[in-house]
This record gives sequence, C-alpha cells and structure tokens, in this order.
Amino acid sequence: MTADPFTMWHPVASEHDVPYRHVHHGQLLGRELAVWRADDDFVNVWENRCLHRGLRLSIGSNDGTELRCQYHGWRYANRSAGCTYIPAHPADAPARTICNRTFPSVERYGLIWSGESPVGEPPTVDVLEAGTPFGLRNLPVHASAELAVRHLQAHRFLPSGRLGAESAAMSVEWADEYAVALTATTDTDDGSASTAVFFVQPVDSGRSVIRAVLAETPAASEQMAVLRHHATELNGLVARIEAEAALLPAPEPMVPVLQQVPLHLAEVPEAPSGRQAALRVQVRRKWETAAGVAAFELAPIEGVLPTFQPGAHIDVHLPNGLVRQYSITNGPGETSYYRLGVKLEPDSTGGSVCLHETVREGDVLAISEPRNNFPLRRDSMRTILLAGGIGITPLLAMAQSLDRMSLAFELHCFAQSAEHTAFSDVLDGLGESVVRHLGLPPDETVAEIRRLVATPDEFTHVYVCGPGPMLEAARREAAEAGWPDDHVHFEYFKNTTEIDDSSTFEVALARSALTVTVPSGSTILEVLRESGVPLPSSCEQGACGTCVATVLEGEPDHQDVYLNDSDHEAGDRIMTCVSRALSDRLVLDL
Amino acid sequence: MIKLYDYVLSVNCYKQRLMMSILDVEYETVPVDFFPGWEHKGEEFRKINPLGHIPVIDDDGYILWDAHAILVYLAAKYDPSGRWYPTGDPGLLGETASWMLFAEGTTNTASAARLCVNLGYDFDLEACQAGAHRLFRVLDEHLWFREREGREWVCSGAHPTIADIALFPDVVLSEEGGISRLDYPALRRWTDRVKRIPGFEGMPGIFPASRGVEV
Amino acid sequence: MAGANGECQNGAVLDQWHPLGAIDEAEPNVVHVTRLLGESISFAVTPEGRSAVWRTRGDLAAGMPVDPESVAGTLPSRCEFLYVWTSLGDPPERSFDIPEFFEPDRRNFNACTIGLRTSAPRAVENFLDMGHFPFVHDGLLGSEPRTEVVDYNVHVDGDTNEVWATECQFWQPAASATATEGQMVDYVYRIMQPYSILLYKSCPAAPERMDLIGLFVQATSEEHCRGHMFLSLIDDESSIGHIRRFVQTIFAQDVPIIENQNPKRLPLDPQAETPIRSDRASILYRRWLSDLGVTYAVIPAA
Repeated sequence: MTADPFTMWHPVASEHDVPYRHVHHGQLLGRELAVWRADDDFVNVWENRCLHRGLRLSIGSNDGTELRCQYHGWRYANRSAGCTYIPAHPADAPARTICNRTFPSVERYGLIWSGESPVGEPPTVDVLEAGTPFGLRNLPVHASAELAVRHLQAHRFLPSGRLGAESAAMSVEWADEYAVALTATTDTDDGSASTAVFFVQPVDSGRSVIRAVLAETPAASEQMAVLRHHATELNGLVARIEAEAALLPAPEPMVPVLQQVPLHLAEVPEAPSGRQAALRVQVRRKWETAAGVAAFELAPIEGVLPTFQPGAHIDVHLPNGLVRQYSITNGPGETSYYRLGVKLEPDSTGGSVCLHETVREGDVLAISEPRNNFPLRRDSMRTILLAGGIGITPLLAMAQSLDRMSLAFELHCFAQSAEHTAFSDVLDGLGESVVRHLGLPPDETVAEIRRLVATPDEFTHVYVCGPGPMLEAARREAAEAGWPDDHVHFEYFKNTTEIDDSSTFEVALARSALTVTVPSGSTILEVLRESGVPLPSSCEQGACGTCVATVLEGEPDHQDVYLNDSDHEAGDRIMTCVSRALSDRLVLDL
Repeated sequence: MIKLYDYVLSVNCYKQRLMMSILDVEYETVPVDFFPGWEHKGEEFRKINPLGHIPVIDDDGYILWDAHAILVYLAAKYDPSGRWYPTGDPGLLGETASWMLFAEGTTNTASAARLCVNLGYDFDLEACQAGAHRLFRVLDEHLWFREREGREWVCSGAHPTIADIALFPDVVLSEEGGISRLDYPALRRWTDRVKRIPGFEGMPGIFPASRGVEV
Repeated sequence: MAGANGECQNGAVLDQWHPLGAIDEAEPNVVHVTRLLGESISFAVTPEGRSAVWRTRGDLAAGMPVDPESVAGTLPSRCEFLYVWTSLGDPPERSFDIPEFFEPDRRNFNACTIGLRTSAPRAVENFLDMGHFPFVHDGLLGSEPRTEVVDYNVHVDGDTNEVWATECQFWQPAASATATEGQMVDYVYRIMQPYSILLYKSCPAAPERMDLIGLFVQATSEEHCRGHMFLSLIDDESSIGHIRRFVQTIFAQDVPIIENQNPKRLPLDPQAETPIRSDRASILYRRWLSDLGVTYAVIPAA
C-alpha cells in the first residue's frame, strides 16, 4: 500500500535555509511555501501567498517578529500568521480572523519538517537518534521523488575519514517512498563505515530536493572535505537522474487547492457577538513588576494564541466569577503568551485582589479573544504616548510596535516613583524615547501634560491611558491647545460617571425589524440580549467601546467615557451598556 | 565629476550606480533614451561609444565602456582600501577576475532573458533561461560552500569584491526573465547580504532587505 | 477560457478592441508580428498612419516589406490614441472616447511597452490600486508612514458601462516628473474595457485640468501580456525622455509585484482573496468583469 503523501511529514528546508531575517522560498507537493525563522527561533511554514492579493510572501521581509508583505505592507505575526496591521487603514484594527494559512513545523536532524496535513510526528530515524547528525548540501533534482529514491538506492560514496579509499561496499539499510538510508564500508581491515540518510522532498510531480544527513559528524578538520565529496557524488547522481527523467514524458504539475477566505472576510466584516471566553490559558509566570503591580504571562494550553494588535485588551474571567479587562503589553512577535500588568486595588470589587492573591503560576484562566478598541495608527510622523501609573500597559505594546517600525514616538511615564514603574526592563530597552516623570504632585502633572500637548500638529497623534483625573486633564488640555478630537485617543480603566438609568424608552432595530422597551433599571444591552439579539460586550461600564451600536434615529443620552465629545455631539453611535435615550425612541442599525 | 551614460532599467548601468553609491563617489548621469528611443544606436551616441552600448563613463575626459571594465576602473581608482578590487592579493585578484568572467555569462543569459521578456528583444529566450539555470546551479553550490567556510561573498575573502557587484543585478532580477530562484536558496540568501552592504542602493524592481540582526 | 492551442474562445473578450503596438514605433510598410489572445497576429502601418492587421501567415513574415492596403483577408483595425488596435471578433463601432486627447496643448505619447509574465487583469487591477504606493513606489508615489487610503467613490456609468473610481486621494512625495515636494494628489480612475484603464491625475502645471495616464494591456495569452503606457500631459517643461524615465521607473517597480501574484489569472470569486475598504474599486472591477461575461485571463467565480 502506498502512503498518502499529503498526510506525511516531509522536509521542506534545512536549517541552513532559514537564517534570521530571511524568508526561504520553498515548495511541497506543488504548493509554494514561505519558511522563516523568527528571532525567538520559531520556524514558520506558511502558504507563500498573502491573503489580500495573492502576493508571494517570500519576497516580503522578516523583521524578526513579523513578516511584512511587500505589496501593501500588511504585517503577519510569528506563529499565528494573524494580520496585525493594514497600513491602508491605520485607524482600524484588522479583523482578527485575517490569518494566512500555516502548516506545522518541527526541526529535526537539521531539517525543517512540515506537510499538507501530516499525521502524528515527523519520522524518527534510529541511526540519526543514536548519532550526531550532520547535514550535507541539499540538491534540487528535476525528477520525481520516486525516480530520485530509485537512483539513490544505487548511490555510492566513501566513509568519512576514508575519502582516499578507492571504493567502498554499499548497503541499503532501509528505504521507503521518500527516504533511503545507505551505509558505505571500506573493505580494509579497520572496516570504516558511514551511514547517510537521504530524505527526498517531493517538490512537485517532476521536481524534488535531496536532503541528506550523515549519521555521524566528521572531525572538524575533515568536514569541508566530506561535504565536497558528497556534493561531487550527489551532483553525479543528480545528472544521471535528470538524464533519465528527460527521456520520460513531463508529468503534469500538481495544482494545489487554494483555500477560500471565510465568507465574512469577502464581505463587509460583522461584529463578533457575546461576552465570551473562548480561550483557556495557563499562568506560565507571575511576578511583581513594580510595587503593587503583578505581571502575568498567560500561555495557551494548546495551539497558538489569537493575534493581537497594540492597544488590544482581553476579558479575564476570574475564579471568583468577576470579568475584568486587561491590556496586552506584548511587543510585536511576542506571540507565545499574553503579558498583563495588574495593579492591586484593595478598595475595588475584588478583581485585582483575586489576581494578586488567589491566582498562581500553573492556574488555568478563561479569557476572551483580544479585542482592540484603542487601535494605534502607524501613519503619524510622531506619536506621543502619555501613561499614568498602570495606564502604561496598552501604551507599552504601542511603544514596542513603533520602535520596531522605527517610527518616531515619545512615551511619557507618570509614576509615583521608580519602584512604582511597571515593566522597567522593557522601558529600558526602548532607550531615549521613554521619559519618566516620577513623584509629581497632581498640579505639576497637569502642568507637564499641558507642556507636552502645547503644540497641536496635524501629523502627530496622542494616546493617553491612566487614572480618571489624568485623562480628564489630558482631554481638557489638548482641547484647549486646539487638538482636533480625532488626534487624541483615550483609554479609560473604568467609567467613574454616576450612571442614571431611570429613563424608560423604546429601541427599534432597523435590520431585525424588532422593537423593545428598555425600562428603568435595565440597559439596552441587557434587553437586547434577552430578546435574542446578542451584542458583543466587554467592560459593561461604558469604558471599552466593545458594545457600540450605530444610531439611525433618536437622540442618545451618552453616559460612557469611550466616545469623545465630537462623537457625543454627532450622536450617531451609542454604547449600549450604559447610555440611554433622551428621545422616546432610538432606531439602531442592528 | 564622473559622468555616467545611463539608462535607469539597465542592469549594466545599475552595476556602476551601485558601485559608486557604495564607494560614495559623486557622479552625474546622462540619461540615454534606450527604450523605446534606441538613442544608444544613433549616430550621436556612437561618437561616444562606437559599439553603441551603455554604460559609458566619462571621468574628466577619460572615457571607458563595458560594464565590468568600468567596475574594475572605479574600484581600482576610488576604493582606497583596495578591497573591492584586491590588487594587493594575487590569489584573491585571480578569483575576482574569474568570477567577473562568470558574470559575463550571467549577463548574457539571465539579463538577456529579461530583455526578451520585458523589452521584446529577439533573443532565444529558452536558451537564455536554460543557460542561466546552468550558471545559477554552479553559483548556488559555490555560495553554499562559502557559507560553510564562514564566508559571505563570491570570492574567498572576508570582504565583498566587484565580482559580487557584477553578479548581483543579473541574479536579483532574473525572475523578470522567467528564471525562478526557487532552486537556489544560497543564491537568495546572498542577495539579502548584498542588499545590506553599507551604501547599497537599489534599482526599480529590487526591494530592500529587512534589517539584519544587530551584532 | 482557452482552446486546445491556447486561443481565446470568450466572446466578451474577442469582441473587444485590443492594442498591438504604438503607431510611431512601427516602421511603416513593414510586417510586424506580435501575439494576441493566444494567436500570432501581424500588422503593418502606412506612413500616413493607416493600418492593416491579419492572422500571421507564411508569405508575410516579420520584417518583410508590405503595402498594408494591399493585404487581403484582414481583421478589423483602427489607428487611434497612439496605437494600432484590432479585434478577433465582432467589435463595436467605437471603443471608447478620450476627449482630452484632442486638446491642442497636450503632449500625447507612448511612454513604453513592457512585456509582463502575468494576466492582463492583474496588471489593470494593480494600476487601479493606491495602497501599494508607499511600499512599491517608495519615495515617488508614496512614502511610509503616510499610508492611509481615504474612502473614495465607485460606480459603473449607466451610459457607457465603464467603471469609475472618483474622489481618490493619496499623499505623494513626488507625484510626477516635475514635482519637488510632497502633496495630496487627486485621482480619478476609469476602466473603459476589460483590459484598458485610464488615470486622471491632478496636473501640477494646470490646477484645474488633469493629466491622463493610460495602461492599455494587450493580452498575449491568459497569463502573459504587454502593457502599453499611454500619456496625455499638460507639461511643456519636461523633456519626453525625462517623463519616460519617471514612468518607466514606476512601471518597473510594479513588475516584480504583479509577476509574483498567485494565481496569475485574476480570481473573480469574492472569497478568493481578502478585500478591504480601500479595494472598493477592484471589488467593482472584478464584479464588472463577471457581469460582462469575461472568462479569459481570469478565474471565473464558480
């Protein structure tokens, strides 16, 4: 019985082919691959095709954390291959599900193994397990894998250390459809022997690559001679294989099936629904990053974590039943975990206390997929990041992205003291772009913010995250200095507005042809959920922006802090978790 | 100042721009309407180069044509370190000359194929492509062994030479002539390294490499 | 869709007018041989600018002298907007109109004809795209980080059945051969026929008028084409050589992009690739090709 090549593991590159900051152009069973090593040593094996316009990713660039498509600059994350940035729309967060096709990847015997849909693990070869594998030069062959394997069984070489011998006895240790193991033994008294395994990568129906590995690494002084000997012998073999292949009719090339993108990406994107915690993560590491601030690294239990963008947050569902939002602080390419910073708020309702005191390393938590309501534009000539205390968290992710792209930015950290500055090690790595303002009393903090935003500039954007009074001060100072609303971006921890939920009004849903009454004491979000219209939500206090709906008619009674004053005045969007209606009736585009 | 008779899409002219950019030599270009004007075949231009081809340089009255000859001249005259054209090291100089001759082959195959496809030249396209593949196989193996020796360039020294400059444009634009580099991973890695040489400048059709790992 | 020898069998494409080459660049009264829609096609022009086009045949080989007006068994042909055009089917009386072409102060010329190893619609779609400027034409038509494509409008003209994208804007560091500093540039795109597109671009020399840049693509086969770059400019300062260098530089930067798209034929299935808001024009172009019944050099939607 012939094994199905599509469910097998095949070598697709050698470790020499994937140095840092390079993209290897490969092919397996007719399908082109882009193979690249990130700076954290994860080797990505992706379909060689950007989802946007089909461009080969192998002509893009590997910056160590992300692969950038050469056509429109779309950036794709290490591991998950999720899109993290679409430069044509710098104000939008890319749809989370824009994700290139990935294939599994395992490094073994100096080769990168992958496959279309491989089953189990890559092959284990006893002689290589027991030995000290040494990779030879790979050779492309214009012939089928079958023909290459057939010729390889009659291949000859000399044992390492006996390259001066006239000849050696050859024996086939084993062979299958895609590999041959040969041992060469000299018939002198000492009986020197070398075993080599020749893996054959089926590139296409009429093309292959021979990837050979010697079982034992030769002495350092001999290595070049051994490599040259095998290259010479293999070149001769390849010439014989290709001479035979040239006499055969050229086989039809294999035509790989290109997957369709999901329907929702082919059309106008829809909002995700529900306050869900789809992911399970494990606390891999917990440490004190500053006085009263615990840091957490959350690693996936299986598979890869969904792609995040700078500014994104996740809902963490705590063991005590509370749901809290925390920003992801990771820089680009740090995709094997989410890193959070949590400040202990003893007076709060118990979210931070639970994380500080109850949650330990090894615990499993339920979290939502990342959501980004605080997206970072990367088309500004300059970016000013203002962080108050633990408000550093989303801005830290932004700063690392800007730094990686060599874009100009300043990160101003306002904190009580150096001991109260979270993630100092990461800040140190950002060099002179980071300015620390330590121990300023409130009036001096305001004066400093006033100074920092004194000069509005069309090509500069400002991002602010911190405690309520600081945000209010920044909002006021920026407005007075004349900054347009859409150049100053805020992220609130919470909404400290006292919510007035005494009104009663009607909500009509234009698309669902449904009208409901929102009584006092209930929110629009709750009533819609009860009526079977699920809206996504996260903080449910008017701070995060997840539950937004478009207003077609009626006058909203805004009680959120997510939308800015111009948005409130425009009245065309509403945060359904806290805001209500001043008119008797609202018509929403749902 | 050096005058370069230049056509922006010519690989042979690009070799001179690249060399002068790396050596930080000031020059001005005299654009030649190569395509579709065929100005280099006209009577006026033949007064400068009777062979009717570009590039030609005019260095303060000293006129020189033939791309690879100009590289020799530029490196010998304007590289005080003597590394690009290593006249002080006979072994390395011999290697450099040998690979410069090899580059005549890549120009006459890979770059000729590009002229066929893009500009409609009436060459034997299939022969050009097959010839380029034969040379690329040799060069890929050669560069793979260089990497194993801990070297990065075509010649055996630690520093690139004019042979890298002569070969690079023929290789990096080969796909425009229908010559895929899928089978030549060492060749692809070498093009990344050339793009990271300080002072590197591209030409239309060549994209910059990502930043290398800081050492 | 192509026959056994690669010849086009798609009526919607056969019936179009297709460009074969610039009139000015074809030596008069001599046979010129080229390819169109998978077939070998010959043409010749008279010194007065009249043309004859025929399916290539042995007695009239490339380079032979010929009196174009004496050739029998010719295909429909016309000399218009700088090029020789033909059709392998039953073409309409007029292809499309470019009224600006006839304005007396314009300079009309072919900037270049370049062979491409991709399908004609991939070349047209790339020409229609602004988002790639900072990445492919860095320093000329765009520059990071000014990458945003602001929303624009698209429609199909009810009278002419042409695709238009209007109110397009993009920030450009050197928008034309004469520009010296960056500016927001206004663009209008117009697709007249499946493989022909015109760009109207704000003109530095005359703010109230537009420069025209056309890409008229000759589909030599389903996956190969020749792009003829048409210019109609209001610019009496720059030399033609200078403008040609600028346009050829831009074109040559696009070549490795469009030749590295997979698949080469333009997929019309909406789920084949991932459009974003700035791709509105190409979404409409693909749908319009489907509606016209174009199946050649594309992958039709299932």
